[in-house]
Amino acid sequence: MTIELRALQALRLKGRATAEDVGAATGAPAGEVGPALAELAAAGHCEQARDRYKLTKAGREQLGELLAAERATVDQAAIVAAYRDFDAHNSAFKQLVTDWQLKDGATPNDHTDAEYDAKIVHRLGELHEGFVPLVDRFVGLAPRLAPYPERFGGALAKVRAGEHIWLARPMIDSYHTVWFELHEDLIGLAGLSRADEAAAGRAE
Amino acid sequence: MTPGVLALDGTTGAGRDELGGKAASIEAMRAMGIPVPPAFVLTTAVCRRFDDPADGAGAVPADVWAELPDAMAELERTTGRTFGAGPSPLLVSVRSGAAVSMPGMMDTVLNLGMTDEVRDALAAESGDAVFADDTRRRFVEQFAKVVGEQAPAEPWEQLRLAVAAVFRSWRSTRATAYRRDRGIAEDGGTAVTVQAMVFGNLDDRSGTGVLFSRDPLTGAAEPYGEWLPRGQGEDVVSGRADALPLAELAAAQPNAHTELLAAAARLERAGRDVQDIEFTVQAGTLWLLQARAAKRSPEAAARHAVTLHAEGLISPAEALDRVTAEQVEALLRPRVDPRAAAAAEVLATGKPACPGIGVGVVATSGEEAEDLADTDADVVLARPTTDPDDVAAMSLARAVVTDLGGSTSHAAVVCREMAVPCVVGCGPGTSAGLAGQTVTVDGGAGVVYLGALPVVPRGALDDPDLRQLAEWARAEAGAEAGGPLTALLRARQGAVHPAEQPAAVR
Repeated sequence: MTIELRALQALRLKGRATAEDVGAATGAPAGEVGPALAELAAAGHCEQARDRYKLTKAGREQLGELLAAERATVDQAAIVAAYRDFDAHNSAFKQLVTDWQLKDGATPNDHTDAEYDAKIVHRLGELHEGFVPLVDRFVGLAPRLAPYPERFGGALAKVRAGEHIWLARPMIDSYHTVWFELHEDLIGLAGLSRADEAAAGRAE
Repeated sequence: MTPGVLALDGTTGAGRDELGGKAASIEAMRAMGIPVPPAFVLTTAVCRRFDDPADGAGAVPADVWAELPDAMAELERTTGRTFGAGPSPLLVSVRSGAAVSMPGMMDTVLNLGMTDEVRDALAAESGDAVFADDTRRRFVEQFAKVVGEQAPAEPWEQLRLAVAAVFRSWRSTRATAYRRDRGIAEDGGTAVTVQAMVFGNLDDRSGTGVLFSRDPLTGAAEPYGEWLPRGQGEDVVSGRADALPLAELAAAQPNAHTELLAAAARLERAGRDVQDIEFTVQAGTLWLLQARAAKRSPEAAARHAVTLHAEGLISPAEALDRVTAEQVEALLRPRVDPRAAAAAEVLATGKPACPGIGVGVVATSGEEAEDLADTDADVVLARPTTDPDDVAAMSLARAVVTDLGGSTSHAAVVCREMAVPCVVGCGPGTSAGLAGQTVTVDGGAGVVYLGALPVVPRGALDDPDLRQLAEWARAEAGAEAGGPLTALLRARQGAVHPAEQPAAVR
C-alpha cells in the first residue's frame, strides 16, 4: 500500500490539511509524512499554503487513477455486501448525532442537561461496540482502511473522558468526521456515487 | 324540524352545526350590520336527508327545492339584479360548509347563473367584453372541474347540480376517511351556501383588496392592506404584483375606506383577534367577503398578544395561547427584515437544518467557495449533497444549501456543529440553479431569497413584550416556575408537534 494513495486521499477528505492531519489519517509514521508530502508537491499533485496542503487538479486526477487501481484489487461483491450492512449502523449513528445536537428534533441541545448528554455518550459506546466487527471486515477487504479502528477508538476515548467536541465537531478527527470519511471511502470502494446514495436515502 | 333553507340576514338564530362554518361567519357579520353580499344557506339538515330514499336518494328533496325561488328572489331584491337574466344579471357562488372544514369536500363554484345572455348583459353593463368572456370561461372550466360534468345552459339546472355535488361530496372517500381519523360524527352533514357575487372589476369605482386589522409582519397596531382597482376575487390574495397600498383606496374612495376600517375594528373586537379581511368595492359600495384570524410573523405574534391584552380584549392566558415557543425562538434569532422578505423572490425552499441568516454569492463547489472566500467575498455554498472535502468550504461559508437530504444529513450535522445557517433538501437541481447569484439564506425558516436582504438583529432578551409574556407564563405556572419563556410555552403547548404550529407569515 503506497503512502502516495493514502496521503492524496487524506488531502481530498480533509480539504486543507496539515502534515499532522495527514499523519493521523494515514497512520503513517511521522518521519514518512513530510517527505511524502514534499514528493507530492514536487510532482504537482498538491500545493502548500502556509502549513497546510491542498490537492491540485493533477493530484485529484492522480488520486482517481490510484483509487481505480485499488478498486480492481478489492472483492467487489464482498465490499458491496459489507456496505449494505453499514447502512443500518449509519442510520443509527446519524440519529445519534442529531439527538446530540437537537432535543426532540427541534430544540438545540445547549448541553446543560448532563444526564441527557451522558445517555447519548453511552449510546455511542454501545454503537461503537456493535460497529467494530464491521470495520474490521472492511479493513480485511481493503487494507488501506487499517487506520480507521484506531481513529474511531481515539475519538470515543476522548468523548468518554468528557471532551465532547470529539463527538461531532468538523475539521478535527471527531467520531463523526472519521465516520464520514469512512463512509466516503466505502462509497468509492463499492463503485457507487454519493449523489446516488443520497437519492436512495443512504448518504445525505 | 330544522328548516331546510335560511336567508342569512343576521336573525336566523341558527348555530354553526346547522349553518356550517362559512354561513355561520356570514350570519355573524350580517348580525353585526357589516356589509356582506346577501346569501342563503341549505342547512346541514338537508344533507342528512340527501341519502334518504324517501326524498329520492341523491337528489335535493322536493320541498327544499321549492323554497329556493323565494330565497333567490330575496338576493335579487337586495342586489337589484336578476338570476340568469339581463340587463343586470345576478351571479352566485356555491360553497360547501361543514361545521368543521375538511379535505375531500367540493369546495366552490363561482359565477354560477352564467348563460350566453348573461355574458352579453355583463359585457354591456361593464363595457368590457373581455371581462364578460373571461368570467364565462372561468365558470365553465370551474364547474366542469368541481362538479364533474359540463355546465348545463339553464341557470337553475346549474344550481341544482352544484348543490347536489356538494352534498354528495360529504360522502366522498377522502372526507369520510378524514372524519373517521378525527372522530368527527358522520351525521353532521355539510351545508351549502349560495351567495351573490360582487365584481371588483365592474368599473373605475370598483376593486378588490385585503386588509389586516393590524400589521401581520411588524406587529404594529395599525391596519395594513393592499388594494387593486378594477381587480377581481383572487387577484390580490394570489399576490399579483401591482396591488397598491391601502392609502390609495383612502384617497380614491374615502367613504369605502372609512367603512372598511370601522368594520375591521368591530370584527377584531368581536373575534378578539387580528383579522384578515377580503373585501371588494363594487361601483363604490363596500362588501366584505371573508374575515378570519390573521396568520402572522413571530414578531407580530408577540406584539399583538401583548397589545390585545393591553386593550382589554384578551386575558394573559389567551395572550400566551397566541404565541408559540418556536415564534419566540425565531424572535431571539437574527432574521430577515419581514417586509423585505415578503417582497423578495424566493429561489428555493427546503428543510431548516441550522438557524441563522447568511448572505453571499453562491458557489457550487468547495474549491470555488474556498477561492471566493480567499478574496474576502461572502460565500454561500450550494451542493447536491456535501462530501467530506466540502467541510473546509462549509466552515468558510456564510450559509450552506443542499438539494438532497434531511435534518440528520451530513450537511445538517456539520453546519449545526459550526453554527453555519443551513437549508437542506431543496430539491434536485436547486444548487445548479443558484450558481453565481447573490442570495440570502434563512436557515431557521428554510428559505433562500434572491438578493442581499436587510437583516434584523437578534431580538433583545429584555424586549418589553417578551418580558411581559414571560411574567404571565411564570405567574400561570406557579410560584416555583422558572426557566426561559420558550420552555414555559413549550410546557403549555404540551405534546404539540412543531409541524402542527400555525404557519408563520413570511
